[in-house]
Amino acid sequence: MTVTVSSSGSAAQSDIERQLVRDRGKEDRRGRIVGSLLAVAPFVMVVVIWWAIYTIFDPVPTKLVAPSKVVDAFFELIREGTLPAYITQSLGRLSIGVIIAIGVGVPLGWLLGLDKDVASSVEPMLRFFNAISGIAWLPLAIAWFGFTDRTITAVIIYTMIFPVIFNTMIGVRTVPTVLRDASRSLGSGWFRVIKDVYIPGSFPSVMTGLRLGIGFGWRALIAGEFIVGGGGLGFLIFNSRTAGLTERVMLGMIVLGAVWLLIDRLILRPIEEFTAARWGMVRL
Amino acid sequence: MTAGNAEAASAASATLTVNGLSHWFIDPQSGSTVHALDDINLAIQPGEFITVVGPSGCGKTTLLKILAGFLKPLAGEARVHGSLITKPGRDRGVVFQELAILPWRTVRRNIGHGLEIQKVPKDVRAKKVAELTDLVGLRGFEDHYPHQLSGGMKQRVAVARTWASDPEIILMDEPFAAVDAMTRQTLQEELIRLTVETKKTVFFITHSVEEAVFLGDRVIALAARPGRVKASVQVPVPREGRTWETMTHDPSMAACVEEVLGLVRGEHEATLASESHANADAEQAQET
Repeated sequence: MTVTVSSSGSAAQSDIERQLVRDRGKEDRRGRIVGSLLAVAPFVMVVVIWWAIYTIFDPVPTKLVAPSKVVDAFFELIREGTLPAYITQSLGRLSIGVIIAIGVGVPLGWLLGLDKDVASSVEPMLRFFNAISGIAWLPLAIAWFGFTDRTITAVIIYTMIFPVIFNTMIGVRTVPTVLRDASRSLGSGWFRVIKDVYIPGSFPSVMTGLRLGIGFGWRALIAGEFIVGGGGLGFLIFNSRTAGLTERVMLGMIVLGAVWLLIDRLILRPIEEFTAARWGMVRL
Repeated sequence: MTAGNAEAASAASATLTVNGLSHWFIDPQSGSTVHALDDINLAIQPGEFITVVGPSGCGKTTLLKILAGFLKPLAGEARVHGSLITKPGRDRGVVFQELAILPWRTVRRNIGHGLEIQKVPKDVRAKKVAELTDLVGLRGFEDHYPHQLSGGMKQRVAVARTWASDPEIILMDEPFAAVDAMTRQTLQEELIRLTVETKKTVFFITHSVEEAVFLGDRVIALAARPGRVKASVQVPVPREGRTWETMTHDPSMAACVEEVLGLVRGEHEATLASESHANADAEQAQET
């Protein structure tokens, strides 16, 4: 086969390919609009059911309030400035946890991923502590750090770090050795192999660990704020219950879910779309 | 001249030499020793395209890994221009069966990876990558990621990446095993064109006798368990301009395929009958 034949052959091939890519783009746009409508519908359903239950059973306010009352509470707390303050407080605590969990968990995961001997000696212990939830540490943490932010932060870090360590380790381990060999044959030293192969290769799994870790951390944070207090969304929920303000309890719960959705859509998913999904390593 | 003598006589000028190479593994389940390679001797001349064919378990891939420098042989040695192979090097490009291109790099950045490692300036790199992209027929796909390509296209990327860093020797481990038959024939013809144009020394592993004869200047038939060189068969038609269309009608090529097939098929009985290379060589001499 001559050069001309092969290049004209691939030109035809690329026309088909381009058409496919264009079609895929169209489907994507249409799919996104339909997708977001489909995603909102279940929420509408839940509110309708809530409202129907409220109307039919007409419960005392300490058990359930109408959706409208929660909306009122929302605007009231915004006006007071307490809701923004609590959200900021909770997110601040979570962020510190995230930064430390990444700073400590990712390097540890890397070490375990690269060195089988270290991994096999440390893994059982890590699994042991992973099984003890961060919340179980609260009594001791309060004894050590008092009713302070440090207690909450410690519990978040503890909760987040295990999924980050394990998933980083798995990510590093599952990078195919043939990719390493290929890079070495191209003249890579170890530094370049790590930079070009292991870091991007383990990245999707590191992201999975972070997603899990942040999700767990978010829940642990609320539990911590229940007990320790001192502001935050957990404090809002727990404190409002004591005061019998059911609409604030429910508002706090809804905000928990909504903030998580925002974290997911605005931070986690874009990162994954830009990396693992673009590389064809995961489907979102 | 027998294959053995030819190897010995030409070793001095050879690009790649393998002397008394043996390798074995311990089976982790049974604890018994598996002899992968036993006393392999080879001399590969500059610009020669050697194909290695043999049944599974003949240690083909082990041999390639040793030549690539991924594996240290337990006995004997492999040399490039007289210097001992101890680790992977830029002088020996490898094309893997597993399409070992990086999923997180676009076609352009995969092909240019070797040049990037060598710190070739960006503009020079871009020019070289564009040349190779054209050469392997991937123009228009430079910004695609591997998962957006077909198997054949991925393998083209792998080939172009290896060629880009301009290694003297190219080691290929069943690179076309994972693509469909039609694409495989196209890739094989393109590989002939590419290697003739660039005058590379190639060590190509396959389990297909047809592929081995079609691509090679010389076919090395390996015997299995332990892997030994059974015979070295010169392909009668020059590599320049070989196409599947002309080769399927060429009686001398058909005869060559038959001969190698006979060697590979008869390999089992031969293993029992002959323990030394002298016997294999005698057999080879009779057949030619």
